[in-house]
Amino acid sequence: MEIPHFFQTIEESGISNWVRDNPFWAILTIHALGMAMLVGASTVIDLRLLGIAPNLPIAPLRRLYGVIWAGFWIQVVSGLLLLIGYPTKSFTNFDFYIKLILIAFGMVAMVMLKKRVFSDPNMSEPDMMAKGRSLAIWSLVFWLGAVTSARMLAYTYTYISYPY
Amino acid sequence: MNLPHLHLLLNHWPIIGTFVGLGLLVLAIITRSNDIRQASYVVFALMAVATIPVYLSGNAAAEKIKKMPEVAMTVIDTHEGAALLAFAALEITGVLALMGLWQFSRSKDYSPQFQPSTGIAMGVLIFALATAGLVAVAGNTGGDIRHSEIVEKGAAASSVATMGANWLAGIRYFVVDYSRWVWPVLEAMHFIGLILLLGTVCLLNLRIMGFYKVLPVAPLQNLLPWGIAGLIINVITGFMFFIGMPFFYVDNWIFQMKIAGIVLAAALLLLYCTASFRKWDWVGPNDDAPGLAKFVAFSSTVLWIVVVVLGRYIPLGAPN
Repeated sequence: MEIPHFFQTIEESGISNWVRDNPFWAILTIHALGMAMLVGASTVIDLRLLGIAPNLPIAPLRRLYGVIWAGFWIQVVSGLLLLIGYPTKSFTNFDFYIKLILIAFGMVAMVMLKKRVFSDPNMSEPDMMAKGRSLAIWSLVFWLGAVTSARMLAYTYTYISYPY
Repeated sequence: MNLPHLHLLLNHWPIIGTFVGLGLLVLAIITRSNDIRQASYVVFALMAVATIPVYLSGNAAAEKIKKMPEVAMTVIDTHEGAALLAFAALEITGVLALMGLWQFSRSKDYSPQFQPSTGIAMGVLIFALATAGLVAVAGNTGGDIRHSEIVEKGAAASSVATMGANWLAGIRYFVVDYSRWVWPVLEAMHFIGLILLLGTVCLLNLRIMGFYKVLPVAPLQNLLPWGIAGLIINVITGFMFFIGMPFFYVDNWIFQMKIAGIVLAAALLLLYCTASFRKWDWVGPNDDAPGLAKFVAFSSTVLWIVVVVLGRYIPLGAPN
């Protein structure tokens, strides 16, 4: 498959050079901390719905969605910057698409979980756990896959930049 | 002070600490004293944390002296093998002791009559005895490196130390040469450990600091074993990285600072697991935690974030 030429155009742009030169490691670090927020907060909700810390009230955990969304948008912004820095490296790696799909599935699972478990303030805790159980398991599976495939990006790329 | 100096300064602590902890544990079993037993567990858990920089600084010490004519590389290798086994045994003892402390801190009816788990005490005792034997070998073989006056003529090399040296070589082969996928998979596990650790510990910290006040503190503490599981995953995978490519890390100032951060943050985590901080459990919904608790929670959060940041920057601190 031919590599689209506009990757080279992106890589020659000022912002792409800026990302690669200077703040690359800083952006990567922010990307790791954003991951801890997004996946860490999701994991706590999932584990509680699966029966961990049974005397922790479930309903107030709804507020952790603030952390989840903050983490998500940190990931979108820092991820886009990394993508502008290395478009060829990412888009020519099949693993990158797997990662994006798994993140999408992870977010969909968390949004569905919010609707199903946290929308009715009168729902009892056993009901919340019963209704959220399968989604919590799926969410953990998706996040595990997303984090693993994301970490693999550093080892699976073919091109680091547009091949001349 | 340099790393070899640090190694010499710290390396007696795990040995002395193991024997102090062991003495306290035996005394606790004889006198049936819960206080002495907890003191023993705290000593073991602290030693498990303190021995991390001891092991890591050993490579720097070896590098510094291996060109000296009176130093034999084989003696250093033997010491390194014994040190690995002693380190592993002490870490297991520390984890078991932490479980014991956890049980104490969780017991609702804490009183002098409280019956702590015999299984945990036996586990700590067995692994502490193994640790005592192994740190003795590690200490002896370490002493042999620079003190030829104590080396007995014709003494056979310790078989335990040789076994440890073989393990070391085996781990290095597995991490670096066995497959190109071992390192990436370990990295992925290291990130998953990070998520478990930060997700649970920082949520508890934020609550103590005054966020999410609708949540009571005590049940949040029940999440801590998951954070500790994350820490254990990361200590194991982290040591596999270090054993695989020691010279990427030894002289790396960012890595050194990361380890210092981990030692401090892990000590704060230990504080959360001791019974003396049970009073924080009384902090119910909408209650304010005491100032000291807030300070510890704030420090813990900052330290773990700093540890992640430094970890991400390790490649930039590597010597050329």
